[in-house]
Parts: sequence; structure tokens; C-alpha cells
Amino acid sequence: MTARLALQGTESLFWDLITAPEGVRPGLETLVRDGKAAPSAIDALIAGDERLPAAERLDIYANMYFFRLLDCLREDFPRLASALGEDRFHNLATDYLMAHPSENPSLRYLGRRLPEFLAGHSLARESSCLADLALLEWTRADLFDAADARPLGRDDLGRLSQEQAGDLTLRAVPAFLLLRLDHDAPRLWRDLRDREASAGVPEAGSGSGAETVAGADSAAATWGAGAANAAHLGEQSGGRCEAGHLHEARPAPPLPRQRRRPTAVRVWRRGFTVFHRAVEDEEAALLDLVVEGTTLSRVAQRLSAGRSQARATEAVGRLLQVWLDAGILEDLR
Amino acid sequence: MPPASLGHGVGLRREHFERVLSAPTRVDWFEVISENFMADGGRPVDVLEQVRARYPIVLHGVSLSIGSTDPLNRPYLDRLAALARRTEPAWVSDHLCWAGIGGHYAHDLLPLPYTEEALRHVVERVQQVQEHLRRPIALENVSSYVTFRQSSLTEWEFLAQIATRSGCGILLDVNNIYVSSRNHGFDPRAYVDGIPKDSVWQFHLAGHSDKGKYLLDTHDHPVPDPVWDLYARAVERFGKVSALVEWDDRIPDFERLEEETQRARVIEARVLGQAAAAGAAGEAASGARPPAAP
Repeated sequence: MTARLALQGTESLFWDLITAPEGVRPGLETLVRDGKAAPSAIDALIAGDERLPAAERLDIYANMYFFRLLDCLREDFPRLASALGEDRFHNLATDYLMAHPSENPSLRYLGRRLPEFLAGHSLARESSCLADLALLEWTRADLFDAADARPLGRDDLGRLSQEQAGDLTLRAVPAFLLLRLDHDAPRLWRDLRDREASAGVPEAGSGSGAETVAGADSAAATWGAGAANAAHLGEQSGGRCEAGHLHEARPAPPLPRQRRRPTAVRVWRRGFTVFHRAVEDEEAALLDLVVEGTTLSRVAQRLSAGRSQARATEAVGRLLQVWLDAGILEDLR
Repeated sequence: MPPASLGHGVGLRREHFERVLSAPTRVDWFEVISENFMADGGRPVDVLEQVRARYPIVLHGVSLSIGSTDPLNRPYLDRLAALARRTEPAWVSDHLCWAGIGGHYAHDLLPLPYTEEALRHVVERVQQVQEHLRRPIALENVSSYVTFRQSSLTEWEFLAQIATRSGCGILLDVNNIYVSSRNHGFDPRAYVDGIPKDSVWQFHLAGHSDKGKYLLDTHDHPVPDPVWDLYARAVERFGKVSALVEWDDRIPDFERLEEETQRARVIEARVLGQAAAAGAAGEAASGARPPAAP
């Protein structure tokens, strides 16, 4: 065995033991059953003592591994965590991390596949709106540090001639995404926020109280400094639970129920704050054009279908005002 | 030679962004977690630019995974290199550890066995990283909770050899030395004394938690007295070296952090003053000495 392989074997065994969801000792039993380790592997790897046996020393790393990642997911999905309750969220995180261990050096991307994973999880059979809620939260977190762009403002447009305005390219800023969900996730998001507020739970992230503003710092939290140290994970590791499934010893909140209701949601960042808002089908269709890049004339043309000239002009003006005030359009001049 | 001291700094945390940008501070420099600022835009990028315009900064990473047997993550190194070009840090540092294997990341600082094999592996990778970044890096000793049976070197021997063979600097975390010394039963002063004098670029100071059977590196308390004592010994040995206070959880007001840096400043001045006084006294004594006999 080469030196490199010896180190690789050490790291591989260490990894398998600390990431075993059932804990270090049961994890070793699994490895032994699978013929991947000897029953004495832990004591052969690590020198323990009476004060702290080898397996307990590894447990410190095992708990830090799980709880650090659990904390990260909770920061990125605060409303989902609230909807599920602590134990269900813990169990979901366990299942998710087994299926999708972190593949990126940055914690920021840990939750990227959770919405898709949740859609296929047993929880989604009980509460189908959860996956949409997760997608809304992930999108908010994802846009938090998307590329900057100067937004087009009312004044910018006011300085253009009518002809210039008509030819103006309208394109969404990089920190913009249009979601098409099967449920009214914005409403669920708001209800959960209100429930947390009435229960005295501090606002996640930025703490802003504006209707569609919250958790603007949620992504920041995921790349918080905790990655450098055990931080509060140690407190948790000494507590009641270990990595792996909990069995709902405490009362859990009722799972949210929503009827299927296709909902388009625009999510965007203005300045350093992430917003979201449900939009009507017509606006969503126009935003599809804006995401690709379109012109004001084309938007006006689409809005004129089925409308009088006066009403079409009014509709264009109203929509443009909304988009300009929101900071959705990029200044491409 | 180690870089000139930047003075006394703190880790930049988002809880203090507004405070740091809104008024002068009593700290000399900031250390930022590299991964936190590898973003395309938004607040992190904006804050870093503003802080960089006012203070020296150091990039401190947590995901280099220098000891992993996985290949080095080239896209990560590219992003780190780009960040370093953009921010021109005083130096770039990471940890002497591994962070994952098989393409997966623990987001933790996992310990290495202190063997000749691991030593060669890490030295080779440090050299690759330094070539990629076109600058030497500094590596930090981590807190640890396990001792590998296969280790044939002490931790400080291992760290010293990494620095000597690769040419990298050492970010000596005084708290981590103390935590590991308690967890493994070695003399923390022997650790400090075992590090080559001209290899230390920076000190870390932080608090930890006593879990009864072991100490846990939690960075959620003030720097405790035994760590201050060890810091004094480190200053005595290594002289004036950039020092940084880390506080990452239960984060207090910025002013509390400033107090910690002030305490470090006082200790450094006292130790260096004593050393200077001792030097001056020695010179005076030698000057007063009667001429040697021909």
C-alpha cells in the first residue's frame, strides 16, 4: 500500500464513521457487516483513554458534522423549518444529507437540491405545498448574492424620446427569477411568518417587517463564520439528540394544507434586500419575455391584444411603473 | 521572513458590518472568511470593497482541504485566486486539515495523522496551491479531539516541517494549541517552543467551551486567561506578529471585541517592553562591564 493510499484509507474510514447518520458505533457495525472495516477499526485508528474513549472522540466530529449542516439548512429554509417543526425538519435534513452530501466547498450551496428532494419525499405526500415553499426560500437565498446590476429607473426612462423608449431593451437584472409553482407559496410563507411573529419568534435574517421582505440575510447566514469552528454545535451535540432520525417525542405543528393553485412568483433583489411577489398570468407571460430580453414596443404589443388603445397604454404604463419601482429591469445603456 | 505585523485585528462578521462601516474602529485590520466573499454580487461583495478601502485585510479560508486525498479543487482555487487579485490581501491563509473526501465536504476542520506520508502529501499540495495563487500561503493549526495511533510526530513537529519544507507561513492559533493540549494532555508551551521563530505570520486568539471531558473550540466566549498566558509566551518567542481575535457565535457588540484586541495589544506591549528593557539592561550591563583582559 502506498503512503497516499494509507492516508486515503484513514480519511475514508474517518469520514464513513463521522457521517454515519445512526452514529459512530452503529456506523462501524454497518461497515463491519458490509466487510469494509474490522470490528476493532475505531480503536486501531484512534487512541482513546479512560476520560474519553476513541468512539466518543469521533462522536464529537460526527455531531459537529450533522448539526453544522442542519443549522445551515435551517438558516436557508426558515419558513420550511417552522412549518415542519424541529423534529420533522431534523429528520428531513438527515434524509437529505444522506442523499445529497455537500459537494461544494461553500456551504452556500448545501440546500440547492432540497426543494427537488422534498418533492419526492414522504412529507410531500402529506403536504404537497412544502416543496414549493422550499423552492421559494431557496430562490430567495440564491439571489441574495447574485451579480449586481444597475436597475433602470423612472428618470432614466423619462429622458428618452417616445421612439427611443419603444426600442429600449427590457431585460431583467441578474438577481431576478420567475417561479411557476403549483401552490400559493407566498401566502404560506406569509402565514408562517405571521405565526412566528405572534409566537414571538425573532424574524429570520434581516428582520425586516415589510410584507414581502424577510430573510434577506438568510444566504449570508449560510456562509457565516461558523464554518471555521464548532461554534454552538457543541451545545447541541451535548443535548438530547444525535444525528439520525428523531421519533417526534415532542408535539409537532400540523402540516400546512393548501389546495393546488398554480402561482407565478417573481423573486428579485433590489439593493441588498430580496423580495418576492405573486403575479397574474399576464404579467408572468410578459416577464418571460423580459427574462429573455425584449423591447417596450413588444410588451405594448402583447398588452394591446383584447384592449382598446387607451386601456393598452394605461396597462403598459402601470406595469412599467411597477417594474421600474421594483428595480427589476437592468439599465443596459 | 514573516510579513510585517498588521497590528491587532478581528474577524469581520456580518453582525458588525454596519458598525464597522459607519464609524472608525480601534482595530488595525480585518480577517475575512474567503468563502463568504466568493459571491458574484450583493451585500458581501459591497461590504468587502468598503472595508478593504479602509483597512488591511487577510483572506482566511476554511475549504482548501489541503490534507485531503481528493484532488485539489481547481475551480475553488480559481475563485480564491480571483478574490485575492480583487482584494489584494496582506496574505491568504487556510487550515492544516482536510475537509472532505470522495467529492464531499464536511465543512469542518478534520484532523490529519502526523506521519511522514501525510507530511509529504501536504507539502506537495501546499506547493501546488502556492504556484496556483502565485503567493505563499499560511496554514493554521486546528483544534483536535482525536489522536491517530499511526502518528509518529507531534503536532508541532508536523506543522514546523510543513512550513520548513513548503515555504508556507504559520497562522498560530493560540487557543487551538491550548484546546488540543487539554484534549490530548501535552504541554502547550512545548508546542509554542517547537515552532520555528521566523515562520509565524499571524496569531489567532479565541475562547472555547469546557464540555467536562474535553474542551470544544467554540469561539463563543472571551479569550480565557490560560490562552492569554500562552499568547504572552508566543509573543515572547515570536515577537511582534499580527494578532487577531475570533468570536463567531453569541457574537457580542463590536466594542467588546475591540476590548479583546486592546487586551492583546497591552500584553504584546508588556512582553515586548520587558524584552526591550531586558535587552537594554543587558546592553547597559555589558557597557558597564570592565574591559576584557588583553
